[in-house]
Amino acid sequence: MLAFTLAMMAGGPARAASLEYPVKAAFLYKFAPFVEWPPRAFESGVSPLAVCVIGHDPFGATLDSAVAGKQVSGHALVVRRLETISAGSGCHIAYIGGSKAQSVADGLAAVQGSPTLTVTDQSMGSPRGAIHFVIKDNRVRFHIDEVTAVHNGVSISSKLMRLALSVRLRKGGRA
Amino acid sequence: MADPAARLSRSWRFVPLVVLAAAALLLLSGVLAGLYGERLYRAQKAREVGVQAEILAVTVSAAVVFDDAATAQEYIGALRANPEIEAAGVYDATGALVAGYHRAGAALPPRLPTATPPVFQGENLVITKPMIEAGSVVGTVHVRSVLEPLSRRFSRYGVTALLGAMGILLLGVLATAGAVLRRANNELRQRARALSAANDALRVQIEEREKAEEALRQSQKMEAIGQLTGGVAHDFNNLLMVASSGLDLMDRTKDAARRQMLKDSIRQAIDRGASLTRQLLAFSRRTALKPAVVDLATQVEGMRVLLDRSLREDIQVQFKFAPDLWPVEVDPHQMELALLNIAVNARDAMPTGGLIVIAGQNAPNIDEGELSGDFVRIAVTDTGGGMAPEMVTRVFEPFFTTKERGQGTGLGLSQVYGFSRASGGDVRIDSELDKGTTVTLLLPRSTKALTSLEPDAPEKEPERGQGRVLLVEDDDGVASVVGEMLRELGYEPVRAASAAEALVVLDQQRPFDLVFSDMVMPGQMDGIGLAREIRRQRPGLPVVLTTGFSEAAAAANQDGLRLLVKPYRIEQLAAQLQAAMNDPRAAG
Repeated sequence: MLAFTLAMMAGGPARAASLEYPVKAAFLYKFAPFVEWPPRAFESGVSPLAVCVIGHDPFGATLDSAVAGKQVSGHALVVRRLETISAGSGCHIAYIGGSKAQSVADGLAAVQGSPTLTVTDQSMGSPRGAIHFVIKDNRVRFHIDEVTAVHNGVSISSKLMRLALSVRLRKGGRA
Repeated sequence: MADPAARLSRSWRFVPLVVLAAAALLLLSGVLAGLYGERLYRAQKAREVGVQAEILAVTVSAAVVFDDAATAQEYIGALRANPEIEAAGVYDATGALVAGYHRAGAALPPRLPTATPPVFQGENLVITKPMIEAGSVVGTVHVRSVLEPLSRRFSRYGVTALLGAMGILLLGVLATAGAVLRRANNELRQRARALSAANDALRVQIEEREKAEEALRQSQKMEAIGQLTGGVAHDFNNLLMVASSGLDLMDRTKDAARRQMLKDSIRQAIDRGASLTRQLLAFSRRTALKPAVVDLATQVEGMRVLLDRSLREDIQVQFKFAPDLWPVEVDPHQMELALLNIAVNARDAMPTGGLIVIAGQNAPNIDEGELSGDFVRIAVTDTGGGMAPEMVTRVFEPFFTTKERGQGTGLGLSQVYGFSRASGGDVRIDSELDKGTTVTLLLPRSTKALTSLEPDAPEKEPERGQGRVLLVEDDDGVASVVGEMLRELGYEPVRAASAAEALVVLDQQRPFDLVFSDMVMPGQMDGIGLAREIRRQRPGLPVVLTTGFSEAAAAANQDGLRLLVKPYRIEQLAAQLQAAMNDPRAAG
């Protein structure tokens, strides 16, 4: 259940390193179908779904090309790059890379309670958002912290949770 | 014909059609049911596999999205538990295979860009379902399921098919049976019709034959009358010649002896004439039989002299009578005549002489048609030339004769026949050419006591009487002669020409002592009527009737009236009149 492999990463570590960020970039927007935001997160049914990269950006153009033209439930995906994040940033998915202006932990704290799916990366530090990328067995995997997500008003599909290495469930929540 | 069989067969005529239609309907419905079942099965299978594919799509979609082949493989592996699914695969949005499995002999398509409607490939069902997340197609699921083998499906339908086939078979048997039954019915009806037609034809033939026989009888009668006319006329002419010439000669001679001889010859001619008419009447059964109970042995023995005189010297006669011969009730004179006729025929059959055997024996318990009971058999056998079979059948016909014209009347054996039948018996004839002939008389046994036979009154002087006699006779000639005879006997005759006139005379004249009346007379009243009327009006007045007709005689006998049969001689007339006058019944 918790096993996670990346089929396209069949090669050695060197190759894995070169593919790590394109995979993570794809994952970022692919989370969207499996996440449910509260209605207040969107101004309307057609307003765009923002995928934000906060601070350090390891993806570059890879993310833009991956997201280009994609839609999720009628919401067009857009990429926004911000130095810092706040409750009013309007980010639905936020990859918090951290920067000198705002550390990962600060970034997480800044959007606490706002409808944002926070994504952190083991290679960027230990603080964890709702989803935390790790590399295990040369494959990109992730942990899920449902508590954090629920605190932000975001619910994560059980389908996604079944793919996670570990899930921190909210109290009284699902198994 | 509106008989039930016809109606039944008419209704049966439609059975094969109905059966065929029913069979066709059954077959069609069986095929439809099979097709429908097959379609239902396929639709249900498509639904089942479709649901499994959908479940797989939903559960595996995330794994496909995040390229988690291991997880996808795990999910797909769960389908292995279902033996019907021989292959399953998940493909990502680009159509590339993410995970999958297949059993031996099955294969997965290497790429599957889009989902398609369910496809049946032989015994396989291929279902592809899109994986949709948030309105986007994120991949495709491919499930290949094995259908229940066609053979097993068909074996299931086979039960239905078998039932249908049995039903058709049954209907076929029924239809065949119906056709056979109908054919049998038709045949029966045709046979009945043929039988009825044959019956009709037979009836027509019988009617025609009866008509032909009637015509034949009529023509035979005419022929007989012709022969009678010739034969009787010939015989009577001879007799009349004797009488006429006798009378002529009597006028020309005074010699008493010669006159007596002439008188005798005239008398003989008249007797022969009377005998001839008696034979005719006996044959026609119009003669009054005077039956008496006789012992045949005695009776026939008494004929020896007569036979010897009638036959020739070269013919020997033997009598063979059983000692305990039963008595019979017959007219003795007729019987003698019958035997004489048979003997004469036998004589004529033996022109060079021979033997005649007259045998008598009892024939108890005969049961042959009309004849039943005890009989006495009299057989007359000769050693003559015999007869051909076709002649044997004709010898009893009246006037059938093999003799020269003038030699016989052809009435001889007819008299024998008439006598035997009138006596309640029968006559048979057995003859073989060149061997001889046997004529057998069968006469019924009588249990009565023997009658003492009065011998014929000899030529004695008739008794004279006296008194007034009313003679009722329509024939002037007869009236004249009988009147003379009555006067000769001493009576005083008064003649009346009819019964009516007789009654008037009885009323108007002095009383009469006796009425002597003919029976058959013209007018409303005949002799019997007159006798009855007289018996009513004048019970004491004796009446004697006379007739030549046997039927009238029988009627008179029935009434207990005295009867004198014509022709009679003066002695008989005298005796009858004396007896009537002395009868206590009439006198009282």
